[in-house]
Parts: sequence; C-alpha cells; structure tokens
Amino acid sequence: MSYRLSKQEVSGLFEKLSEKYDIYAPKRVKNAGRYSETDIIQYAKISDISEVVWDEKSTYPMKEVLSPIQQTIFYFTEDEYRESKGKTRPMLIFARPCDINAMKVQARIYAGNGGFVDMYYQRMHELARYILMPCSGGDDTCFCVSMGTNTTDDYAMAVKPLEDGMLFEVKDEEFAPCFEKAEKAEFAPEFVKENELTAVIPEIPDKEVLNALKKHPMWKQFNGRCISCGACTIACSTCTCFTTRDVIYGDNPEVGERRRVSASCQIDTFAKVAGGGDYRTTAGDRMRYKMLHKFHDYKARFGESHMCVGCGRCTARCPEFISITVTLRKMNEAVAQIRAELGR
Amino acid sequence: MNRDINIKNMRINCFRQSKVDGIFMLQMRVPGGFVDAKYLEMIQYMAKTWGDGNFHFGTRQTFDIPGIKYDDIPAVNAYIEKYIKEVDAELCEVDMDKIAGEPHEWDPSSGYPTIGARNITACIGNYHCICANINTFELARKLEKIIFPSHYHIKINIAGCPNDCNKAHLCDFGIIGTYKFDYHPERCIGCGLCAKKCEHGATRVLSLDEGTAKILKDPCCCVGCGECARACPTSAWQRHPEPLYRVILGGRTGRQTPRLGKMFLNWASEDVIIAVLKNWQKFSAWVMDYKPEYLHGGHLIDRAGYKKFKEIMLDGVELNPECMVAEDIFWTETEHRSNCNVKPIELHHTAGPQHD
Repeated sequence: MSYRLSKQEVSGLFEKLSEKYDIYAPKRVKNAGRYSETDIIQYAKISDISEVVWDEKSTYPMKEVLSPIQQTIFYFTEDEYRESKGKTRPMLIFARPCDINAMKVQARIYAGNGGFVDMYYQRMHELARYILMPCSGGDDTCFCVSMGTNTTDDYAMAVKPLEDGMLFEVKDEEFAPCFEKAEKAEFAPEFVKENELTAVIPEIPDKEVLNALKKHPMWKQFNGRCISCGACTIACSTCTCFTTRDVIYGDNPEVGERRRVSASCQIDTFAKVAGGGDYRTTAGDRMRYKMLHKFHDYKARFGESHMCVGCGRCTARCPEFISITVTLRKMNEAVAQIRAELGR
Repeated sequence: MNRDINIKNMRINCFRQSKVDGIFMLQMRVPGGFVDAKYLEMIQYMAKTWGDGNFHFGTRQTFDIPGIKYDDIPAVNAYIEKYIKEVDAELCEVDMDKIAGEPHEWDPSSGYPTIGARNITACIGNYHCICANINTFELARKLEKIIFPSHYHIKINIAGCPNDCNKAHLCDFGIIGTYKFDYHPERCIGCGLCAKKCEHGATRVLSLDEGTAKILKDPCCCVGCGECARACPTSAWQRHPEPLYRVILGGRTGRQTPRLGKMFLNWASEDVIIAVLKNWQKFSAWVMDYKPEYLHGGHLIDRAGYKKFKEIMLDGVELNPECMVAEDIFWTETEHRSNCNVKPIELHHTAGPQHD
C-alpha cells in the first residue's frame, strides 16, 4: 500500500519509529572533507528526518553501518574472553538500489562463503531493514544500470520526499500499523533506467586470455598514477577485506581486545606474508588485482553477477582521478587485443 | 623637461615616478590579488589610452600601468573612480571618507587618497588550491577596510596554508591559514599515510603506533597544515569547523636589514586577527608621535620594541582560548653593511611621545 504524509506526519512517523529503531541515513559532516571547506556525506544515525541528504551521493558507502571500519570482536583477560555485544536495537537504513544490492555481495562474502557464517556480520544483517531512497541516476561516476543493480525489491518501505511531505510505499507488514490513519496515494518507486555513464565489462573467455591480461602492459601505467592510498576500497560498496589487531590495555599484555579493521588491497603491505614474501609489489599489480576481483574473479566463483555495483564511489573518491570506468575501457581494449592475437 | 611636480604627493596618489621626467606608473589596489576579470578590460583601455600599452603585475599584486604622462593623471584618476568605488568602497566596504579612522573627505575623481597601507597580497587560497585552509581574498577584503586609507605603512601578506607560497614570512604582518584537527581513531585503518605525508611535507609530528596501528601526534609541533586530512583515505582526520591563523611578524626585504618574520600569534581566530589589526593605526601613531610619515611598518616595531608593540596591539583584544602569543621575538637580521645598526646615539630613532 502507498500513502502520502504531510511534513508534520513524516516527523511524527520517524519520531515514533525511532522508539524501536535506530535510523541511519547519509548525513552531511561539514568541513570534514579532504580539502578545506568541503564536506563529506557518510552514513550515520540520524535523530531527525531533515538530516538526510537526498540529492547527493554519499562519500562513503552504506556498508559502514553493517560492517564499520573498526569494530571490537572480543575482549580478553588472561585465559578468558568475551565476544563484543554489538548492537541490539534494530536498524532502519535509508538506501538506494545500488547500496541494497551491494549488501547481497557483502552477505555472499561474509555469510556462507566457504561454508562459514561470520557472526559479526550476520548479527548486524539481521537487525537491518531498508528504506528505499529515490535515485535520479546519480552523478557522472554512477553506472548501476550497466551492472544491473539499478533495481531492487529488498526493502521494507520506499519513500519519495515532496515539497510538503513524503510518499511511502509500505511493503513490510510490520510497518503497516504506522499508516492506519494515513492518506492513501498512488506511489511506486521508480528505478533509474539510464546513467550518464555506460560501462562495458570485458568478456574473458578462458584462462589463457586471463593470464595474458594479467601480464598486459596496461597495468604498468598505474605504477606512476596510483598512490596506493586505498581510498577507492574504503569508498567501495562491496569491498569486505579486513585485518585483525589485538590491542593491549596499558602495560598488561593479559588484558585487551581484538579488533576487526578494514583493510585495503591497494595499500602496499596488503599482500605481504610471513617470511617477507609479497605477492603484489607495485601499484599496477594491486590495481589489476582489484579490477579482476570486481569484474571477473568474483563472478567466476559465485556465478550470477559481478561484484561491482557501479556506485562509482571509487572514482569519485580517488585523489588521483583514476576512473574505474576508463580503466574498464582499457581492460576491454587489452582483452580485444589479446583475443585477436590468440585468435579467439 | 622643466617640470614642477610634487613627487611625494604623486606617490601618495599611487603614481610612481619613472626614470623619464614626467612619466609615471599607476599602482591600483587589488585586495587579496583577486578581482572580477571584467576589470582587465579597464586596465587594457587605460594602458592603451594613457599608458605605453604595457602592463606589469605589481610585486604586491597591484595592477601597474607604466608610461602615464603627468598631464594625463587627472584624466586617469577620473577614470579609476568607478574601480575604486566598486572594489574598495563596495566590495571591501572601505569608508573612503576617512584616513586612519579620522574623518577626511575623499574627492572621488582624485584617485587613491593614500599609499601607506600597501595592497594586501594573497595566494589563491582555498577558492582553488587543494592545500589551502582559508579563503584568502575574503580575509583580505575584511582587512582592507581596517588598514586603508591610511598614511601609516603596513604590508600584509596572506597565505592559505603553512606552505606560505605568498611569503607571509617576508612582510610586516603575515597571516597564514591553519586548522586544528580531530582524529577519529574508529575510522583509522592504520595505513600510516598521514604520518608519511607529515614526515615528507610537514613537521613529522605523526607516527604510527605499532601496538595499536593508530596514529600518535605531537601536538606541540603541528603547524596545522592539513596534509594529514588531504592524505587520509578514510576521513579519519577532520578539520575543526573554523580555521585558525598564524601571524608572522616583522619580516622584510630592504637594503639594510632584511630578515624573515617570526611567529607573533599562533592559533588565533579571525576575530582576534581583525581586533589586533584594528590597533595598528594606534600603534603607528604612538611610535611616530602622531605624525604620520612614510616609514615601513617593520621599522615602527623596531623603534617601539616588540614588547611595546605587543602591549598596544593586544590592547582590548579578547584572545580565543587556543591562541598563543610570543612572549618575546628575537629576529635574526642579515646586515648587508657591516654593523650598520651601530651608530652615534644621536642618530638613533625615537619612539613614543617626544617632550620638547
């Protein structure tokens, strides 16, 4: 069912919802940008609906709500330990289709991959319900349509803000009682059909082409351009890599906590292993690894779809203006060249 | 050429004498070195109509038009009335009918009333630059009305960040834009890039704690440049809501005693900068026994001594809690003529009210 609420009713609704739910949304943090007098938009708990940033892509992805950059996983004292309690209140999260589709990717990695369900992800996942935000096609870095992530039906409610109120489509029966007295309306969310940007994903038919692509000179250009800061993977909706770190409290090594902290395959120490070996020593190697993970390896392992949801945050956030879609185009050219040379 | 020209009055009017008798160069104020490009048409017209067709970027970011004949100066002054009104009176809200705060009616067709307070220079600042912390020309426009028109000389340079491309260290009152930063350890992934950037391009105050994989900071030596925030891939370093300013005092070039300026204020708020500069006329007047003459601002500080300068400049100023003030300043001068500052006592300059 769909409804139309006045501004006042919307405030009342979210006030009521916040009695049970923590409400998360993209929120502006003034002056927190990389450069002075620039803002960032990040997912955070909101206390008022007016805090939601509707018309601009968030700098950081929605995944931070479910898998924050840092979380404590357990505390230890001598030979005892206790898991962190984590969140207990259910969450309502404002999200766009790309963000919601990205959560499917997160779930595939965290919950079930290798026959193992990550409890820390799962307990957050179970608390999350989504409110679908309207998207008009994003900015000039978005390419969700190319990745097939422009639509979703995985949401509890869909909304559309109006000048004087808000339209709601209520899918999850749990929320129906909130709308008993509300004015009915015709409303179904519209999905983006076209982005300004189109990305073509290279077809890599076999291992021989894949291996030739790995050795292709195209990756070397990134040695001089990419600064290996990792901003792209932190901004990525689907990256899941983390490292763990034991932090000792004060001077007593018997007491402390184990943390999970986001890691980035773009940072130069990422592939360093015990004994000093390092599998990807150049920025070009690391870029190749990321691109193939997003646009080949993930799909090769899980079938269905590619890992990338086309949110474009990596491009938007890169301080060196490396565009993921231009890099894809270069991959396409390299694959075409390789296929011609190998005759396939 | 037989001319009777009051060169001093010409200079006060911002027309500079040239090597050729009767030929002058106009220097037009551009506060913060930033102005609507539409005025370039005006400059071109002036250079072609009254100048020699050439243009020079003044070393203090003025529009300089050389080759103006003495007889054309009234026409030039009448023509720049619009520019002075739009840029100084309107954009910078300068009260043109005052000199050093005292009522003094300005004849709008007579050109610039004073040259003493020199054009405030600025780098492009955060209007454009990825390093800058402040909007430099907006600050310049706020300060213009405090120092101009005045016969008291002061050179103010504004730099958007501690890299100081605009050489705040080489003027009387150099202002550098800074920030204090909040560190959000919960966003830090321990990549150490901020520490590397700080070591490479700033003051090496950050280090990566191997035990926690978080950043340690030596707040004492932080210059507030923001290289950490610029480098951070996760926005773990975030600027405070408002910028703060460093003031570098008493830098100068010159034949006798060139020297770099030294820190007078650190972490001062914009309100403090404005309040301090509002005391500049009072300080200058006191040093020169209330008789304004063309004397470089740095020399006034020399005559009074830093402690007297500090006393007058901070009079009535409410310092923001973060603000630090130099207790004393020991400049290191480069004396081009050996011992040129050692001279008979009767040649020493005086400071403060003189009793005959």
